[in-house]
Amino acid sequence: MFLSQKTIKPMRKSKVILGLIYLGLLWFIAAVLIAPNINSILFVFWQDGDFTMRAVDRMFGSQRAINSLRNSFILAPILSLTVGFIGISLVMITEYFDIKGAKILRLGYMTTLVYGGIILVSGYRFLYGSNGFFTNFFASIFPNFDTGWFEGFWAVLFVMTFATTGNHMIFLRNAMRAVDYQTIEAARNMGANQFTILRRIVLPVLTPSLLAVTTFTFLTGLGATSAPLLVGGPNFQTITPMMLSFSRMAGSRDLAALMGLFLGGASIILIIILAQLEKRGHYLSISKVKTTLVKHKIRNPIANFFVHLYAYVLFVIYVAPIVSVILFSFTDAPTIARRQLSLSSFTLQNYILVFSNSRSYQPIITSVMFSLMAAAGVAILILVVCRIITKYKNKISSIVEYTFMIPWLLPNVLIAIGLIYTFNLPRWFMFNRVLTGTMTIMVLGYLIIRIPFTLRITRAAFFSLDNTLEDAAKNLGAKTMYTFFRVILPILLPSVLAIFALNFNGLLTEFDMSVFLYHPLHMPLGVQIQNLTMADVAQGDNTAITFVYAVLMMVVSSVVLYVVYGRGSRLNE
Amino acid sequence: MINLSNIQVHFGSFEALKSINLEVKQGEFFTLLGPSGCGKTTTLRTVTGFINPTKGKVEVDGKDITHLEIEKRNIGMVFQNYALFPTMSVYENIAFGLKVKKVSGDEIKTKIDEIARKVELEPMQLTKKISELSGGQQQRVAIARALVTSPSIICLDEPLSNLDAKLRVQLRNELKELQRRFGITTIYVTHDQEEALTLSDRIAVFNLGNIEQIGRPDEVYNYSATEFVCNFIGDINKLSSDFLISAGANSQNGVDTSKNCYIRLERLYVNNKLEHHLSCDAVVENFEYYGLYIKYALNSNGERLKVIEKNSGSPMYSIGSTVTVSFNPENIMQY
Repeated sequence: MFLSQKTIKPMRKSKVILGLIYLGLLWFIAAVLIAPNINSILFVFWQDGDFTMRAVDRMFGSQRAINSLRNSFILAPILSLTVGFIGISLVMITEYFDIKGAKILRLGYMTTLVYGGIILVSGYRFLYGSNGFFTNFFASIFPNFDTGWFEGFWAVLFVMTFATTGNHMIFLRNAMRAVDYQTIEAARNMGANQFTILRRIVLPVLTPSLLAVTTFTFLTGLGATSAPLLVGGPNFQTITPMMLSFSRMAGSRDLAALMGLFLGGASIILIIILAQLEKRGHYLSISKVKTTLVKHKIRNPIANFFVHLYAYVLFVIYVAPIVSVILFSFTDAPTIARRQLSLSSFTLQNYILVFSNSRSYQPIITSVMFSLMAAAGVAILILVVCRIITKYKNKISSIVEYTFMIPWLLPNVLIAIGLIYTFNLPRWFMFNRVLTGTMTIMVLGYLIIRIPFTLRITRAAFFSLDNTLEDAAKNLGAKTMYTFFRVILPILLPSVLAIFALNFNGLLTEFDMSVFLYHPLHMPLGVQIQNLTMADVAQGDNTAITFVYAVLMMVVSSVVLYVVYGRGSRLNE
Repeated sequence: MINLSNIQVHFGSFEALKSINLEVKQGEFFTLLGPSGCGKTTTLRTVTGFINPTKGKVEVDGKDITHLEIEKRNIGMVFQNYALFPTMSVYENIAFGLKVKKVSGDEIKTKIDEIARKVELEPMQLTKKISELSGGQQQRVAIARALVTSPSIICLDEPLSNLDAKLRVQLRNELKELQRRFGITTIYVTHDQEEALTLSDRIAVFNLGNIEQIGRPDEVYNYSATEFVCNFIGDINKLSSDFLISAGANSQNGVDTSKNCYIRLERLYVNNKLEHHLSCDAVVENFEYYGLYIKYALNSNGERLKVIEKNSGSPMYSIGSTVTVSFNPENIMQY
């Protein structure tokens, strides 16, 4: 044997480091990913040391609870259809058909990526709500127009349809751009018309992505929070707002947890169905020389006109809230209340107000700090996880791989409830620290909800890595850590930074989880905006501050995206 | 120099290498040749340390390196896709191994300048990004990176397979020239028999995890040890016993017609019967014109034969014409 002592020592050292990493990950899995969720189940079915069905009986006895369950299960499938229709339209308009001004249209359709969640809902409410811009406009034309029209199921559906097409604009658009144009040319060469090409060649290629984004939409519909809270009204409340309401009542917390389990069960079933569908196959291009998609001209002039009209109406729907929010953020309270712009009403007063009052700017700092910590934390954590699951094939790495999928299966609110009810007592596996009501639980919650997305994308980046690069580095004498930091990480960095940016932006105005977990002295922006929006619509000051928040968040999100993607693309060169 | 004895590799229940024994001499250009999945890359990766053999021993200069860590083997490697680090410049790529070995900055610069000169990389190319280089330049960077740390051996895993035909021939010549210049022991993996024949000092022909033959290019071509080698290397005619008997082949002229008999295309002659040659008539069915030579498809009483004739400038045999095909029975390979 040729092994010297010198070669054995570093091997031992690296094994110790690996062992410590495994230990840390297993602790995280047990204490953060598994224990709270088991605790949620126990909380519902195990009280005073006995098994109980009390919560189930109460849930089925509560009309409000049953209504909210029914509403969620009505909203989710219908939303999947409407978002699917609008989402596919957007992709067709921007990528498939030759539409005049497609670049501008695309920018408009993508606004929901930097302007989403509760801010977007408040923007729609400003335009269509009881004193809204369009409501006033319709009321001036039709005197009997019901100014309270924008409330209930249709309002929630409308808002959520336009708010959740972001996934289509990223994933479905990418799939469309990946269509090999030579397959279309081949079909045309064999006599296929435009409709046949679309139906038989293009749509089958998009099917896997479409299934994935539709599942996301379905889950978003089931877990809808801000839209039903702000525009659902008393007659259309869904599971999550109801859970929020129950969780605030001391005697009904088990009911909140049970509804969360219900939501979790539905999500798991849906994800299993999706996994089965995904197994039916992906359509990978096997072209030797792939050519990029050439846009189709719509030859029928009437059809062409209506498609253009449709495209621009959609554009107005997407852009109107964002434009009005930006414009009205620079106006005084009376102008906002009247929804009537004039040159003299423009002012910087709202911005000065936000920056001069610590109560106003504190939520921004809180959200930026929490989002930064969670986005950085989850990026590093998942980088380690992916490295382990791609490099080491053993039982522990398999456990790590599968258990990190848990947050993907469970709705955010269930995770939040599990965290609250688990860490409201000192637990030995959390070193006897009470976390409920602290800032730690906020960061932890934010981190957990970004795990599924981060894991999916980081894993894809790892799998697309050329394995021979690591072999080459090793062959040139580099050790595992050196190879990781000098060779692997620089290649992954653009993806990691992009994920960081998207996570950071996604968390800035996070509401669904924050509303359960927030610390009263460190209110995050999402909760602050909801409070301001719900307080009183007529209060122009509140709306103005909300708009300032919205604009600031858009600026921060855009800057982050620019810096990261700009840097990323330079690194990629 | 390199000695593999009784190397066995299993991937689960799959036996990738059955029992490999070979020896590579100092300064030799040794090629592992075979079809996909035959075990040639597995053998190379066993030498470099990426694969741990289930059984057997890898020795370099008498030292057992079977279980030595990859980074301590001092074996350079050029990968199929070159595996150049995309985030680093050409200079940083070449310097990588030296930096790992903590060589001083000045020495790194000297060594890189020297190796760049040897592989004919211009100084201005050193600052470029990998994506800005042509296929040929990338190959030279990969070779420079593998050689700059002064390894005792260099392993190349199908480095020409991704290139177009013309560049492949050009780089093949460059590769041979570089190997001669450096005098370094080289193990080269390829499935391309022409590449193996033109580059190698010796070739090991692999099939289904075994070595079928080890020999000089002329040996494996002219005296293929097994039926597989004779079929895999070069184009060949399989001759039926009926054809051989009708042409006059028998045990007296050294042909056992009960065996599987083969003859190379260039060992059949058209209308050019020499002494001791056996012959028969055939009809020209088709021909392919290659410029340097012409390839005829002949039919001799149902026996289809391929023949290569050097293009001497004289008129070609027309389709349908009858010709005499002759061959030396000594050139028949029998298995």
